[in-house]
Amino acid sequence: MFKSYRKIISTAAIAALCATAAMGYETSRKYDFNHKYVIDGGVTYPVKHGKTAAYYVNEKAHKTHFNLGRKAKKCEIDAWNVDVMYYGEGLPEGKGSVEEGEEIYEAKCQQCHGDFGSGSGLYPHLTAGNAYEEHETLKNQRWNPGDDEGPHRTFGSYWPYASTAFWYIKTGMPHQAPMSLTNDEVYALVAYLLSINEIKVDGQEVDDDFVLSKENFTKVHLPNENGFVPDIRGKNGLENVRKFWNADPKTLRENFGGKKLKDPKKRCMKGCFKGEPKVQRIAHAIANFNPPLGKAPKQEASAQPSEGQKLYKDHCAVCHATDSMGAPKVGDKAAWAAVTKKGMDKVLHNAIHGINGMPPKGGTNLPDDKIKEIVEYMVNASK
Amino acid sequence: MSKRSEELDATRADVHTPSRRDFFKKTATLTAGAVAAASVVAPVALSADEKKAKCDGDEKIVNLNPWETKWGYPVSEKLYGQPSPFERHVVRRTTPILSSGNYRASIAVAPIQDLHGIITPNGLFFNRHHGGTPDIDPKQHRLMIHGLVEKPIVLTMDELKRYPSVSRIHFVECPANGGPEWRGPQFNSIQFAKGFMSCAEWTGVYLKDILKDIGLKPEAKWMLAEGGDSSHMGRTIPVDKVLDDVIIAWGQNGEALRPEQGYPIRLLVPGWEANLCVKWLRRLEFAKEPFYAKEETSRYTALRKDGKAIQHFYVNEVNSVITNPCPEKPWTDLKKGDIVEIEGLAWSGHGTITGVDISFDGGKNWVEASLKGLVLPKAWTRFSYIYKYEGKPLLLSSRARDDAGFIQPTVMEERKAVGVEGVYHRNGIHTWEVNEKGEVSNVQVLS
Repeated sequence: MFKSYRKIISTAAIAALCATAAMGYETSRKYDFNHKYVIDGGVTYPVKHGKTAAYYVNEKAHKTHFNLGRKAKKCEIDAWNVDVMYYGEGLPEGKGSVEEGEEIYEAKCQQCHGDFGSGSGLYPHLTAGNAYEEHETLKNQRWNPGDDEGPHRTFGSYWPYASTAFWYIKTGMPHQAPMSLTNDEVYALVAYLLSINEIKVDGQEVDDDFVLSKENFTKVHLPNENGFVPDIRGKNGLENVRKFWNADPKTLRENFGGKKLKDPKKRCMKGCFKGEPKVQRIAHAIANFNPPLGKAPKQEASAQPSEGQKLYKDHCAVCHATDSMGAPKVGDKAAWAAVTKKGMDKVLHNAIHGINGMPPKGGTNLPDDKIKEIVEYMVNASK
Repeated sequence: MSKRSEELDATRADVHTPSRRDFFKKTATLTAGAVAAASVVAPVALSADEKKAKCDGDEKIVNLNPWETKWGYPVSEKLYGQPSPFERHVVRRTTPILSSGNYRASIAVAPIQDLHGIITPNGLFFNRHHGGTPDIDPKQHRLMIHGLVEKPIVLTMDELKRYPSVSRIHFVECPANGGPEWRGPQFNSIQFAKGFMSCAEWTGVYLKDILKDIGLKPEAKWMLAEGGDSSHMGRTIPVDKVLDDVIIAWGQNGEALRPEQGYPIRLLVPGWEANLCVKWLRRLEFAKEPFYAKEETSRYTALRKDGKAIQHFYVNEVNSVITNPCPEKPWTDLKKGDIVEIEGLAWSGHGTITGVDISFDGGKNWVEASLKGLVLPKAWTRFSYIYKYEGKPLLLSSRARDDAGFIQPTVMEERKAVGVEGVYHRNGIHTWEVNEKGEVSNVQVLS
């Protein structure tokens, strides 16, 4: 690959010298600041004669120092800098076991992600079984309309690093209440994720007693750690990327499907394939559009939403706006007729104490009277 | 009153329409000159009645229309303008199949069938978010730049906007535009097949201008951009791109960014995946190593047929689509022999569009279309072809190329190279099937 990369560079260098594209813009395949090839394989538009492409530039504006803002304090940086690098940098102190993770999962995650991470509705599943076996499915291709065994992309089979899960859960989950989990809880949840994906750490499949901590985190290796191209890690990372996107045309095709022409004038204009065109038409149309094509949206009610409606949106819609996890969907008259059959007191009791997949108060800490307002809104909106 | 004018009145119920009595009350206080002018109004109605009796022409011409015989609304109303009530169907649209159950990690797609030129109005700009759209008070918002820089800084929004601004027209495209159709067409709609994108004039500061002040350390190779919304979404960007044309934008088509577009500030990474253009931007960190954020591992990576996934798949490659006709704008009103303009959009994140070809037989034979209007780097570009409609079935395709040397592959070239499970970055040639009635359907040509 390296050899072919050199070849394209030599032809590209000639193109860079010519430097004027069909539109009359000054272009270059190399950056003026480091004289390296444009990282994405495209062109750049250097400032020449006071212009970049079609845009005039006040060159003085970009050479002047303005020195705006103030120096960031260490405690401010620490408050926001909670990302975790793939090699473990940024992991906070803390620990949590699979068993603890399972408890937290059932209380705060299961309502969307389903039993044992099996997913529900359009919320992602977190496992498809044994990660090492599932990893083998990544080569599956559904070439023909009847094929149904596609690749299974889950945390266990597809994600390269567990650090990503720690960082993401810490800052983005639970979806309706991010930044609410402690570091210990996040360790426990990642440990639980490893367990339901049957990941081995140090050759041992993690069991209920397994404790994940800052100390042993980097011993976790997921099966798809080396499943990504180009390789962005280490001191050659950036250059690997540059080579990948600047390869010769044949390699570009293999790399990402890109098609390059040596001479655009020689592109095919006549008889580009043999015989009649082979047409693939829509087999299963998706047409559940909101609003339907050509139609205006329904007028939004102008009345101020009630407190119950507002609280419902913030806390309950995550499940009740759809029928995920079997939650009766707000607006579904039949479903709510069944719910209210035994009377409002029973509905309120169930809402406060939990029922089926729903945890007590839907996992919120709201007082009973607020739950009552929400329930009244939901019942009224479903009549 | 005709049926149509009643409809109009219904939509204008909120507008104060002066009654005849009001009219006389008010004119009584006007100057003599104004009264003289106003007195012209009455006789016109009579003469129209006379005209109607003599003419069987279009009643919209021979009759008076309600909007010509009474006031419209005053300048003191609608101080932020809205589209005509007759354009209410021109909206973003959603579908449950592309949404999480709560519509807080979802996409609303742009009605590109109804757009003109290369600028998308802000209210129609496609919208993707990962934790809902926040309303952020700019006075409470900060931008922090830290990591491998000489002087880590915090900027208020007012301070940031003191930097000299640049304005650039660029498209912003979700790399999953067309992504649900790797295995075949699914949406009989241009809005859903190609509407995961929009194009605007963005105003902001080149990030390189700020880095010049705070000093980027030579070992810095990657930048994390992170949002301040509930998803705290982050993405890694190589410093080469940062030092080329990345903008921190606060302006969109002449006004402040819309909340859906990241108000008060977003990153604008010209030509690259919209997901990299982090909205509600609050933190930039420079580092030696890439960050492996969630949206560049579990998502926005393209699984190839060899089981390897392409990561850091930055560029929205050269692409095009015919917007007229399309499923939403068919040719059902055309008669054989009518002359019609075929129009479309082309764009490339690698550079500038240099040409577009059109085919009437699904890509077997091609003719060159004209580019029209502004042709700018990493921006929507309009193309046009004047065609005599014959009322025969057609397979109407477009094929764009750019100044980096790329040309759109055929559907089969693309599938053979990378497979059909990639989800992202599909730029194979798009084809509409036009039947003898002029109806338009979404198809793929597998020749």
